[in-house]
Order: sequence, then structure tokens, then C-alpha cells
Amino acid sequence: MYDLLIIGGGPAGYVAAERAGHKGLNVVLFEKKSMGGVCLNEGCIPTKTLLYSAKTYHNALHGDKYGVYGDNIRFDFSKITARKDKVVKKLVAGVESKMKVNHVTVVKGEAMIQERGANGLEIKCDDKTYFGANLLVCTGSEAFLPPIPGLAEAGDVILTNREILALNEQPASLVIIGGGVIGMEFASFYNSLGTKVTVVEMLPEILGGLDFEISAMLRDMYTKKGLEFNLSAKVVRIEGNKVIFEKDGRTESVEGEKILVSVGRRAVTRGFGLENLNVELNRVGIKVDEKMRTNVPGVFAAGDVTGFSLLAHTASREGEVVVNNLTGRNDIMRYDAIPGVVYTNPEVAGVGLTEETAKAKGLAYRIAKLPMAFSGRFIAENEGGNGLCKVLVGEKYGEVLGVHMLGNPCSEMIYGACMAIEQEMTLEKMQEVVFPHPTVSEIFKETLFALQ
Amino acid sequence: MAIVVIMPKQGQSVESCIITDSKKKGDIVAKGDILFTYETDKASFEEVSPEDGVILECLYKEGDEVPVLNDMMVIGQPGEDYIALLGEPAPTQEPSGTAESNVQPVLAQIDETSHVPGTQAGDKLVFVSPRASNLAEKEALDPTRLAGSGPNGRVIEKDVLAVLESRPDMTPLARKMAAAEGLQPQAQGTGLAGTARAIDLKPVASAVSADDYEDKKLSNMRKLIAKAMYTSLQNSAQLTHHLGADARRIQELRKKVKKAMDAGTLTTNVTLNDMVCFAVIKALKQYPNVNSHFLGDNMRLFNKVHLGLAVDTDRGLMVPVVRKADDMSIIELANQFKEIANACRKGGIAPELLSSEAATFTVSNLGNYGVEIFTPVINLPQSAILGVNTIVPRPKDLGDGVYGFVPYIGLSLTYDHRALDGGEATRFLKQIAVEIENLELDIF
Repeated sequence: MYDLLIIGGGPAGYVAAERAGHKGLNVVLFEKKSMGGVCLNEGCIPTKTLLYSAKTYHNALHGDKYGVYGDNIRFDFSKITARKDKVVKKLVAGVESKMKVNHVTVVKGEAMIQERGANGLEIKCDDKTYFGANLLVCTGSEAFLPPIPGLAEAGDVILTNREILALNEQPASLVIIGGGVIGMEFASFYNSLGTKVTVVEMLPEILGGLDFEISAMLRDMYTKKGLEFNLSAKVVRIEGNKVIFEKDGRTESVEGEKILVSVGRRAVTRGFGLENLNVELNRVGIKVDEKMRTNVPGVFAAGDVTGFSLLAHTASREGEVVVNNLTGRNDIMRYDAIPGVVYTNPEVAGVGLTEETAKAKGLAYRIAKLPMAFSGRFIAENEGGNGLCKVLVGEKYGEVLGVHMLGNPCSEMIYGACMAIEQEMTLEKMQEVVFPHPTVSEIFKETLFALQ
Repeated sequence: MAIVVIMPKQGQSVESCIITDSKKKGDIVAKGDILFTYETDKASFEEVSPEDGVILECLYKEGDEVPVLNDMMVIGQPGEDYIALLGEPAPTQEPSGTAESNVQPVLAQIDETSHVPGTQAGDKLVFVSPRASNLAEKEALDPTRLAGSGPNGRVIEKDVLAVLESRPDMTPLARKMAAAEGLQPQAQGTGLAGTARAIDLKPVASAVSADDYEDKKLSNMRKLIAKAMYTSLQNSAQLTHHLGADARRIQELRKKVKKAMDAGTLTTNVTLNDMVCFAVIKALKQYPNVNSHFLGDNMRLFNKVHLGLAVDTDRGLMVPVVRKADDMSIIELANQFKEIANACRKGGIAPELLSSEAATFTVSNLGNYGVEIFTPVINLPQSAILGVNTIVPRPKDLGDGVYGFVPYIGLSLTYDHRALDGGEATRFLKQIAVEIENLELDIF
């Protein structure tokens, strides 16, 4: 009899297992593929590895801006992907060792939830039955393939995040359907390597949900780098290598050696016996409350399977909330200080309310914007570069409502803003915090003072 | 310019105070810092510094008894010559040397939870110590809403700390919002590790919104009644016995009265209440212990019956007295009752007739309103009060195995058990019933 059964070894599952094991719970985790989930194997980590190669190549190519010259600068695509595989392998091993250290039993195989029996919750895996007092479902999500005519017939041309990471050769041209975070990161990578990339986005702007102004700035930057954008463009058909879309009432088409479909992800709620427990689902995934409890006592869900947020760091925190409540510490999930990052070059990072959401909520707010050039360090390291920092505070009390940035390395400094929002810090308190000089993070402090 | 801080005079009768805690010579103090704390026989106080500076001289130490208005310490800048300042008569220009500046009286509405038993509800001065006030302000608390545990209900630092302990940590936004909007966090916050966030704040008195009620000042009359009734229940050992009297006799008399009035042979309308009171007076004559005041160390037994009668008026309950009621005939009694009741309703009653000391016993009649049983509250220092209830039919053994419904008048006697025991009270109550059942009126 286990204290906790966990299905899925992604950022929700393995973090929950690690924390629960550390607290002395008897935990078993089922993973059908490789520990680390989509994030480690087909998402966050491999893409960041690739993007760093691209960035290094880009910097080498443009070293002349910094007075550094190199000849015959080139890259080897197979070396880049080999390094990616090595990094993934290393990190998967790291997660596996964490499981061992925390006495988590890892079962490799497909788990199948049984009906609740006399011995509590029951999972069958490879003809063996496991009993547990609690169950955490974190089966994640998978790429959503929309019912576009011709998509299924296009065969190998069509890629999702999984297949594109497995490519052994660089495509000469790439059409990306969906200009969200995943689409833009692959666009960035292949654009840097010289592939002709075209983005087809249904909405009027890329990176839906992020700060509109920053998204537009990033799009301009990439347009200058040769990336082609088709906004407000609805894909109607795929004919082999051709993506046919309607835009401004006209039908246009774009051709690519490969076509990446990155229009969204779907929670995985089928195929592992969830229905045997009558767990309630909603439109996007498993329905949970603020403690990640489902409608069935003792059954929890965390991560992408809940269908919202869809971020690895959200998933990990959700897993921790489950374990905290199981081990006697009252904890709830808060979603208002979850950062969002896009690892393009330059990076985009934001947390809290955007101008658009603040307006939609009818909040009284003040806003300040400063170009990244207000940071000395940014100037020193980004020759000819540009960026933006935006801070929203409440009109009446000056609490930090939202922080949005464009410019390297904002992915590394956004957590400061997360802390401010999570703690409902006010302007005058934040202004007393000492930021290291010279760093790009000082742009946050400068913008806070611009709100005076 | 150095300043001499004197021992404030806290009240007219205070001649000296004892130092309980004090800064030392050489200590640096900021304006508002507590210089020393001191006690009178009743309360403890804090003296705060009127200026930033250094304590140049401290003339007393902890435990010393300091005569009021004496020099306590000198505050100034290092090196200043202050000797000339000492030994002079108590300075009058002292900015903080007066009792008023030591405690901060705040006029506040005391809510039910902080009401101290024995004090009067309503507007009340709440005293908050400077320490408590500073802390409360920093922590976005309204100290005037706290129950003070200091002398005379003074809110002291401990009271503020007690609230803070039971309250979750608050985010900077929550603090600001709480202070600005008079809100307080719920017991469990939803922020980091249970920290209270802005969304966890709620109004202090969440049970009612300001739109739901209207605050009305108490009239003096209401205040007096409130005080008298509350004091009565707090300061005596009251209990009530209930008993019924066969009302056929007085109902028959009442019919006769009506008939005689119709015939013109009787000019005074003698009511059931008059008759009951007449019977009560007769019973009181036989039980002198009931016709009394309980005065703590002694019982005052009255030779005469001064009968109080509870009268409902627009301004509130009034209990006028008919003096020497036992000397009166039923007609005189009936006329007297009518006269004083009218005087009360019109507001022309002599104040000395309203005093609870003026009556030796009180009758409160709610029978007209259909009340079947109640527990009247004694007008101290009287020993008892009779509540008269409505007449209800009750089954009665009429003899020979015949049962019939008979009208009964309910009698509720509240007595102070300090003055009377149950047996005597019951016998007295029974006697009233007997008098009612056998009442003779020589008016027809």
C-alpha cells in the first residue's frame, strides 16, 4: 500500500514524487516513456539547448559589432542535435537519481487505473497491481492537430514539437502554423540557422496573451531578420508542402519543406483508466480546485492535464501543492504570479497583468515604460539592440500588478518581479530594494522610479 | 535648548508616582520615544519624549517614588548647560508635561465584543497607550476597537500584540489597504505560506453594512432605565415564582363596578389592576419582610406600603409611587393610580415619586397586553416586584368530581433571594392569591 500513486513523470509528477519522498511518503511513479515528461524530452530543455547553439552561431556571425572577427563561421546541424540529445540524457539521468535519493519507486510502463476496491485506489501496470491511498494524475498534454483538410495526407511534411526535435537535417524552408511560444521559438532557431521561415498566425498578433506592444516589437525584430509573418491568416487547406490560408479576404499560399503545427496542446485524459473513477472533466482537462483536488476523494491532478496554464513551472508548483496538503501543510495554488517566458533572441518575459488584461478587468493602474537602453549593461552587451521594460502598478496603493520585458536576459530576471507580485509589494517598498550594478535587471528598478 | 521633563500629575488626588521603567542618563532618544513608565495606585502610564535629543540628566531611577510636577529628567544636545534649568518651579510651558498629552483619548463607538461589563454602553472614551497606538498604526489596526486590558480598559501594547498574534502575516498591499479602508484579514490568508493578501481582507464588522442600520443616541431616560435594569440584574439574586389566582371573585366585582357606574352610584372606575393592587397591599401588611429594601448589611422594613406602579409611557418605562397606599380605600387607591399614571404620561410627575428608593414594593401589570408569564426585574433596593398577567381559563376541580374551566389570573413574583427565601416568598405570593380570591369591596 503506497501513500501516493503518481501517473506521469513530467515536471508535475517528478517534482511531487521528489517532495513527497523527501517528506517520507511511500511513493510509486509510473512513466511510460522517459522521466522528465514533455518538458525535459520534447519541450523546454531540448529547445533551449538548440536555441543556445543558434545564439552562439548568431553572435559569432555578428562578432564584428563588438570588434571580434572570425572566418569561415559555420555550424554542424548534426552536432547541434547530438548535443541536445546529450543534454536531455544527462538531465533525465538527473531526475532518475533524484527519484532514487528520495526513495521513489519508479515503474516504467503504462499505468491503468482500476475501479476503487477494498484496498483503496488501484493501478495495474504490466500485470502487477499497485494500491495507494492517494493518486496524482499528471499525464500532461499532447500537440493538438486541428482538422485542416490535407493535413493527415501531408505525411512526413507535418511536424509537431516532437518530430521537429527529431529532425536530422536542417530543412531549407519551414512553414509554422501558429505563432505562439512554441512556434516562435522554433522560428527563432531555424531563422538563425538560415532556414526560410514563414509564420502563419490566425490572430492579429503573435504570442497571444503576452503584452501586445512587446509582441509587436519582437515581430518587427524578426521581420528585419528575414522571418515572414502572415497575421490574421486562417489556414484552410494543406496541399503537400503548401499551406493555403485566407487573409484579408484573399486566398494565399506558402510553401515549406516542412510544416510545423503548433496551434495548441490538449490534455491527455484518456487511455489510462481515468473514467473508472468517474473523475470529472471540464472543457480543457481534469477539473480541479485550488488544492488540485478532483471531484474524487484522494485523487489529484497537476500539470498540463488540467488544461490551463500549460507551463512546466506551474506544473511543478501544482505538484508541490498536492504534496503539501497531503503532508499536513495547508497550501493553495495561485496563478496570478506565474511568469511567462519566450526564449527567442531577444527573450520575452512577463508576469502578472498586461495592459490589456488590466483594462479588461477595469482596474485603475499606472504604467511606466523604459527602453532597455536605460541599462548600462544592456548597452554594453547588445550593440544596436533594443528592448523594453513595462511596469504596471495599482493606481491607489501602488502595488506591482505586472512586469513585462523584452531583451536579454530577461528570462533570468523576471523572478524578481514574480516575488514582487506574489507578495503584493508596493512601489515604495520595491524602490528600496538594492539591485546589483551593472546588470540588466536594473531596468526594473529604473522603471519603478519612472512611476513616481 | 534643553528641556526639563517633569513627573505629570495624573488626577487631582495623585501626589506621587512610582517609576517602573526609565531611560538612563546619556541615552539618545527620538521624539515620541518612551522616556519612562510610571504608576499611580490605579494605573500605569508612559511619558514620551517631546524632542529628539540626549538624556542629559536623569534624577530618579526605577522603583523611585517621584512627587508629581517634580523634575524627572533633562533632554537636550550633548554639552548643553542645563543646571540652571533645574530646581526652578515646575515649568508651565512644558510641551508634554500635562496629563492630557500622555494618554490619547479617542472618542469611539464601543462595539459589543469590547464592551466591559459594568460600564455604560454607547460613546465612551477609549484610552490607548502611546506604545499601543504606535504599534497599531504600523500594523494597520484600529486600537479603539480593541478590548483594553489595562487599567480602566486602557488599550495597551499587549492588547495589540494579542491581536497580531492571532492574525496572519499581511502583504504590503494588504497592510496599506487595511489601514486605508478599515479592513482586517481573514484567519487564513491565501498568499505565500498563509500570508493575507488584498483579497483576504474583509470589513471588521462584516455582519452588518452601514446601510442596514441607523445609530440613534440614547435619551437620558433610556440611559437611566438601561443602567437601573442592568445594575439590578448584575447586583442581586433574582428569581421568579409563578402562581395563579382564581379570578372569578374580582371579575364579579368588576362587573358590579361597571353596573354601578352605569347606574351612577359609583363615580370611580375601579379596575382589575386596582383590585389586584389592593389585594397586594393587604398581603404586604401580613408579610412585612417583603415590604422592604435590601441594603446589603441590613434590611429596611417599612411601616407603610409605598406602592410603585410600572407605567408604560412614550418616553419609556416609569414607576411612579403611591405613598402610604395601605392607608387608602380602594376608591382612593384607584384615583391615585389614575392620577400618577396620567402625570407620568404627560410628563408632570414629581421626580421624587419616580425614585426606586421611594417605593417599598412594585406592581407591573402586563395582563392587559395578554402576557401569560413574565419575569419582572426588581427596582433595587426593593426586595421584590409582582408581575400581573392576563386571565386565562384553567381546569379546576369544582367538587364532587366535577371539573370546569375557571378564569385564573397569573401572578409572577420576582424576589431578591438575598432578602427573602423561597418559602416566605411563596407564602406571600399565595397570600396575594388568597386576598384576590376573597376580595371584599365596600363600595356598592
